[in-house]
Amino acid sequence: MVITGYGAVTPLGTNVEDTWQNLITGNCGVGYISLFDATNFPVRIAAEVKDFDPLKYLDPSTAKYTDRFTHFAVAASLQAMDNAKLKVDDNNRYDIGIVIGSGIGGLATLSRQMEVLYTRGPSRVSPYLIPMMIADNAPSRLSIISGIKGVNFSLATACSTGADAIGLAYQLIRCGAYKVMIAGGTDATITPIGIAGFAQAGALSKNPDPAKASRPFDAKRDGFVIGEGAGIIVLESLQYALARRAPILAEIVGYGATSDAFHITQPAEDAEAAARAIRLSLAGLDCDHVDYINAHGTSTPLNDVTETRAIKKVFGKKAYEIPVSSTKSMVGHMLGAAGAVEAIICCKVIAEGIIPPTINLEYPDAECDLDYVPRKAREKNVRLALSNSFGFGGHNSVLAISRFEP
Amino acid sequence: MDVFELVKKAICKVEPGLDESKIVPAALLKEDLDLDSLDRVELALALEDELGLYLQDEEMGDIFTVGDIVALIESKLKVEKTS
Repeated sequence: MVITGYGAVTPLGTNVEDTWQNLITGNCGVGYISLFDATNFPVRIAAEVKDFDPLKYLDPSTAKYTDRFTHFAVAASLQAMDNAKLKVDDNNRYDIGIVIGSGIGGLATLSRQMEVLYTRGPSRVSPYLIPMMIADNAPSRLSIISGIKGVNFSLATACSTGADAIGLAYQLIRCGAYKVMIAGGTDATITPIGIAGFAQAGALSKNPDPAKASRPFDAKRDGFVIGEGAGIIVLESLQYALARRAPILAEIVGYGATSDAFHITQPAEDAEAAARAIRLSLAGLDCDHVDYINAHGTSTPLNDVTETRAIKKVFGKKAYEIPVSSTKSMVGHMLGAAGAVEAIICCKVIAEGIIPPTINLEYPDAECDLDYVPRKAREKNVRLALSNSFGFGGHNSVLAISRFEP
Repeated sequence: MDVFELVKKAICKVEPGLDESKIVPAALLKEDLDLDSLDRVELALALEDELGLYLQDEEMGDIFTVGDIVALIESKLKVEKTS
């Protein structure tokens, strides 16, 4: 099962290449919130997508009647399909499916229309509210725009969404239902209600310094920085990719997903289910061959400790030899997009032989004692990489991505 | 007040990217201007914003062309004036 294309819109660039260059340089995409006036909010920073023009990808009418999370998803999907040289026509349109997850959906649209409802009444609410807000708007718009007629659906597993969307696409191709899947995640929740909600849950960093707030595995970390964007891959059966002479970027070799069955926002302290998800992703593979782990690494006090524990449970002493980095230190937490963008980053790591760093890792935490590739990118030949994603609700989802070696 | 110009402006607002020269009194909302049922509601809301007039669903139900909207609004404005 091979990855033949990818696309992304992130706080560090409106495509994969710009994002990658910024990541290996160690640039930080976090800044003061500009999408709304956050003066009176307890958290005034976020990792916003900058200089993104939806009209580059959507006609003016579609752009007007779609939420920002759909803009990101369609842009990243069209980039990925172009990258994969995938043409949709009458010979293949039913062989291609779409699964684009979103942790939250069109929160900005919902908020705006709630205000209309309360200030001007129900007869003033836009008829586009529901189609714009519902999470499946991203995959269904893509289906309409691209002419893809296989299944299209969304999926929501909080911060594991992007990884699970790719995992599900992997299963659908593996069972023979589809030859190609467009898969990934998207979210755009930097809105007053989004920031207020996450802040009240105690999840967000209160650090006022944007460049320093996202500091995974650092002793002074105090929460995640909310990000936004989308990451989409084109995944297809090797047979189909070879037949159409598609460029092969990497291979998905495993997917593991479990649930903590513990708490609605906190990870289970024993990290048992998270460790099992990692083991499942490596089923049939040799644990000793893992060269890199792109951590979930949110910068919350709890995640970073339990994730470290999970990695140690699986790899034992070998855990100390595996570079583990959190790119959320630079792009923030892109929620439903995070797992997909991080899977794409793993593809780039494998292709380029460079591991992006965990920036802001300055003060060691005794409980986070692995090699987190602090502050500076590192050259390393990586053949097998893992991408960890964990989410509110106890989701643990891990993708194993390998260099394609025919 | 040029009601046609107001209607044209509202249609452009609802359907950005539309070729304005297509907006003529005889133009069919669906067939010529590609306004679907959702867009018709958006159009009613835009006209209400512009004119302060409330357009009922059943009134909008009889509308097929740009000219029909203009006529509906003109008749409503007349009623408003006389009352």
